[in-house]
Amino acid sequence: MSESIIVTVARDLEDLVPTFMKNRGKELETLRNALAAGEFEQLRQIGHRMKGVGNSYGFEKVSLLGQSIEDRAKAADRAGLEAIIDEYIEYLARVKIVYE
Amino acid sequence: MNEQAARHAANAGNAAGRSGAESDAFRVLVVDDDPDMAAFLARMLAQQGLKADIAVDGYAALATIAADPPDLVLLDVQMPGPDGFEICRRLKASELTALLPVVLVTALEDHESRVRGIEAGADDFLSKPVRREELIARVNTLRKLHETRKELEGRRLAAEVQEKESIRKAFSRYLSPRLAERVLRDSPQGSDVFRDLSQRALVVALFADLRGFTRLSETVPVSNIVPMLNEYFTVITAAVHANEGTVFSMAGDSMLVGFNVPVPQLDAAERALNTARTVIQSFAPVAARWKRDYGLSTGVGVGIESGEVVVGNVGAPSFTSYTIIGDSVNVAARLMQRAAPNEVLIGPRAALALGSRLSGGIGPMQRRSIELKGKSEAVEVISFRVAPAD
Repeated sequence: MSESIIVTVARDLEDLVPTFMKNRGKELETLRNALAAGEFEQLRQIGHRMKGVGNSYGFEKVSLLGQSIEDRAKAADRAGLEAIIDEYIEYLARVKIVYE
Repeated sequence: MNEQAARHAANAGNAAGRSGAESDAFRVLVVDDDPDMAAFLARMLAQQGLKADIAVDGYAALATIAADPPDLVLLDVQMPGPDGFEICRRLKASELTALLPVVLVTALEDHESRVRGIEAGADDFLSKPVRREELIARVNTLRKLHETRKELEGRRLAAEVQEKESIRKAFSRYLSPRLAERVLRDSPQGSDVFRDLSQRALVVALFADLRGFTRLSETVPVSNIVPMLNEYFTVITAAVHANEGTVFSMAGDSMLVGFNVPVPQLDAAERALNTARTVIQSFAPVAARWKRDYGLSTGVGVGIESGEVVVGNVGAPSFTSYTIIGDSVNVAARLMQRAAPNEVLIGPRAALALGSRLSGGIGPMQRRSIELKGKSEAVEVISFRVAPAD
C-alpha cells in the first residue's frame, strides 16, 4: 500500500505494544460488527476507550479516531462512522513503531 | 491488652503491619476494563517502585479490596458492572475503606464525570489520555498524604497507650495491680472510675499502724529509719493488695485502706478482716528481726469500721488525693490508736457486717466497750489478737 506512518513509543512500553496492537485488531472487528448491527452505544463506548488508551501509549491517531467515532456514534452517523473505520483500517495497516 | 495496643501502634507506621520484603511497597490497585490501559498504568506505577495490581471490572475490584486493601485505587469511570462512581461511593461509605485514597480516571473534558466523582467522594482525578508525569505526580502526592496519615495514626495510638499507662500509674498509687488491670479493662476511660465516685459510698475502712516504732526510732541510727519504714510499708502493702484493698494514704507509720471502693466488693468486710490478719502475720518476721537487732518490740495495730463515707479527689488543683472522708474512717483511726501490737479492733458496724464470719477460725475474741475520743457514748467493739505465726 502507501508509505508507513511512524509512531514513536517509549522503550519501557515495548513489551506491552504487541498486545496493544493485537487488541486494536480485535477492536476493529468489533467496530465493524457493531456498525453492521447499528449498535451506536457500543460504538460510542469503544470510541471513548480508544480516545483514552491511544495517546497514553503514544498513538495519537488512535485517540483522534476514537474521538471521531464517539462523536459520530452519538449522532448515529452511519456513513461518517464507516469512513472513520476505513481510516482506522488503513492506519493500522501502515503504522510502524519506533521505540526510543 | 496494653502490650497488644503497643504492638499495634508500632505497626501502624509500616504498611498496615504486613511483614516481608513487599510490606514496605506502596500498593496501588488499578481498576480498568481496558487491558491495555490497565497494563499501561501498572507499568508506570511499577517504574516508580510501587506495587500495582489490576482488577478488570468493578466486581473484581471490590473483591480484591475487601480481601487485601491496597494503599491507593486508580479507578476507571466507565466499566461494566458497578462503575467507577459506584465503587468509589461504596468504598467511601465503608468504615474500613473510607480513608483509602481513590483517584478517578476520567476523560479530560468530561466535567460531568468530575462533578459526579466529587459527589462520590473521589480524592483526586486523572485525565485520559494519561500523561505519565501527571500520573506520577498525583500518585506521589497521595502517597505522601497516606504516609503522613499513617504516621499520625501511629502517633495517636502511641498517645493512647501512653494515656492508658498514666491512668494505670495513677491507679496503682491506690489500687492493687490486679485490681487496676481489671478496672482498666472494664472501663477503657479509666479515669471515669475515680470521677464517678466523688459521691457517697459504703466503705469498709481499715487503719494499720506500727506500734512501738516511735521508741524504736529513738534507738536506731537515723539513716536506718526510712529503710525500715519502707520495709514495713512494702510488707503491709503487699498484704493489702493480696486482698484487693485500696490504699488511700500512708502517713508516718500508719496506712488507710478502703474496701468496696472504687469497685464494689460484696465481701468487703471479710477482705478487711483477712487483710488485718495478713498484715500482722506478714510483718511478724520483720518485727522478730528488729527485736533481735535492736532489742525492742514492734507490732501492727489495726482498726476496722464500715459505714457511709464521701469518696473523691480532694485537695488543691496542684495536689489532689483520692480520699475517703466520714465517721467510719474516724472510728477506724481511733480504734487503731487503741489497738495493742498485733491486735485488731473491729467497730460495731463492721462487726455487724461480718456477723457469723467473726466466730470462725480467728481465735479468741472479746467483746469490749471502749470510750473513743470525740464520741459521747462508749462503743461496742470486737477485739482479737493475731498470733504472729497463726
